[in-house]
Amino acid sequence: MEPFLNILISGILLGGIYSLVSIGLNLIFGVVRIVNFAQGELVMLAMYATFFCFAKFGIGPYYAVFLVAPLMFVVGLAVQRLVLQPLQNEPMMQIFATFGLLILFENSVLAITRGEGYSLTGSYSSVVIDVFGLKASMTRVIVFIAASAIALGLMLFLSRTMAGKAIRAVIQDRQSARLMGINVERTYLLTFGLGSALAGVAGALLAPIYTLSPYIGGNFILPAFAVVVLGGLGSVPGAYLGGLAVGLMEGFAGYYVDPVLKQAIWFIIFVVVLVVRPSGLMGQAGAEEVGLREQT
Amino acid sequence: MTAPQQAFAAQPDSFGLMLGRYAGLLALSALPLVLLWSNPYWVNILAYTYLFAALAAAWNIIGGFGGQFSLGHGVFFAIGAYAVARLYLDLGLTPWLAIFPAAALATVVALLVSWPTFRLRGPFFAIATMAINEACFALANYSDRVTGGPRGILIPFRAAFANMIFIERWKYALLMFAFMSIVVLITVALRRGRLGHYLLAVRADEDAARAAGIDVLKVKLQGMALSALLTGIGGGLFAMYVRVLDPPSLFSLPDIGVKFALISLIGGIGTIIGPVIGALLIVPLENFLRGALGGDIPGGHLIILGAVLVVASLFLKRGVVGAVLVITRRIRQRGRR
Repeated sequence: MEPFLNILISGILLGGIYSLVSIGLNLIFGVVRIVNFAQGELVMLAMYATFFCFAKFGIGPYYAVFLVAPLMFVVGLAVQRLVLQPLQNEPMMQIFATFGLLILFENSVLAITRGEGYSLTGSYSSVVIDVFGLKASMTRVIVFIAASAIALGLMLFLSRTMAGKAIRAVIQDRQSARLMGINVERTYLLTFGLGSALAGVAGALLAPIYTLSPYIGGNFILPAFAVVVLGGLGSVPGAYLGGLAVGLMEGFAGYYVDPVLKQAIWFIIFVVVLVVRPSGLMGQAGAEEVGLREQT
Repeated sequence: MTAPQQAFAAQPDSFGLMLGRYAGLLALSALPLVLLWSNPYWVNILAYTYLFAALAAAWNIIGGFGGQFSLGHGVFFAIGAYAVARLYLDLGLTPWLAIFPAAALATVVALLVSWPTFRLRGPFFAIATMAINEACFALANYSDRVTGGPRGILIPFRAAFANMIFIERWKYALLMFAFMSIVVLITVALRRGRLGHYLLAVRADEDAARAAGIDVLKVKLQGMALSALLTGIGGGLFAMYVRVLDPPSLFSLPDIGVKFALISLIGGIGTIIGPVIGALLIVPLENFLRGALGGDIPGGHLIILGAVLVVASLFLKRGVVGAVLVITRRIRQRGRR
């Protein structure tokens, strides 16, 4: 029983990481209708920014998050305004552009750090919470709590505020939203900035957990895509619960099958969801059929 | 995306004339090989260039004409490479014959994975194919017995025509050039034939194509089968050329899967000669950059490649071919005035 419970805990905590990364991706996905292949690299940039704050100024990651998230918001605004907005109705070129950004960010960091691996170690990184013999590391519990809080906060933001309602209107119908007087381009900017800021939060909170490498974004982007497909396009609770589900599946498959095959697990999730329920668990039905095709 | 099509539609040439024109362009692309014949460094780069031109042209069949943005072509490439290596090493089968079962295997796998993923459109399809690539990467690392796991396979150097292993580099360049020519001529025939028109119709508007009585899934699968077949052959040739096969380099997205798409983009997506032009520009440039920056700046050549990708997607959407067509049309219009 005890290994089972331990895997359950570690699976949920891994799921928290995936949720945290996926929420921002799915927000951008659902609203701007852009598959941001570079989302994992935004997380990676934020991790390095957090490390920089710590190494240069001695600011711990849990304080640095308040610097890094706004910084990534600005990066997101720049990416959306300069690269993606001109390509609004060209899905194929968007894939090229975001993939180009991925390669660009990854190798720029590689060139600057010269491939040296960094890791952020502080007093908090070794703290382990022990409840009745079930162990969990403090840093991962913090990520899980943050993911839950962000999911809740974002749902409130989307349902209660004017800006949030505008975002939801754009998700439902771009053209009608425009006719109702919503500035669609500004909504895109806000959303992409928000999605990038969430990548910033994720990066800051994940920095103490992982050894930093320029390629670390790849560890997040594929499970995040699986989460988005599973949870449904544009759905915040879908991304949150989908993240936990993917984390749990990976945890159990890693223990009972083989940890080397986790990419295969993500892929199986992909295919099964696509065949059984292509719109995801909480997405709008038909979203994948319309795909991300141009709406004028 | 319509400019090259319109240009082709405006010139209803006979098949012979069209074939002749592309044969001429191919002969032109052989010029660097003739000029640099005696320089092994450049001949090596040219062999790569022709191989990647062929692979990009194969990707272009489904990615360009069919508009199905696959990032998973590395899988078919790797299957071709591993199958040829295994057949050659274990059964002693000459690679000249081994490429056929290898390509058939790549085609079958392509059909099996495409059948569920072709339900998806646009970027969703791209994500799914990227996931396929990563899943197969994991499997290749895992299955030691077939792929040699992370260590990879080393094909010993035994130069002989029957082994497709040559001492002279120009023989490889010639082989790759022949392969490229075959792929380009197949594309010409495809573009003229029924399947080519169906693929273009599916790319332009899937729903309208279906309404017009086209079996969309069947057309996509046929396009993918042809594309994967040629990619598998390319993988087999690559295996005998580099003779070292390891999962990280075969399944690398920036070096293999996305490279095919990038080359097509630079040359002109959905055009016949675009992939060849793209490869002639990108592959030597990348080799030059790798040599010039590789030592001082790790990943330097990829920084430039990433920037090229972003800039090209913003300003060179129809590639070099599209840009040339726009310029010639402008000159022609001015001439009329």
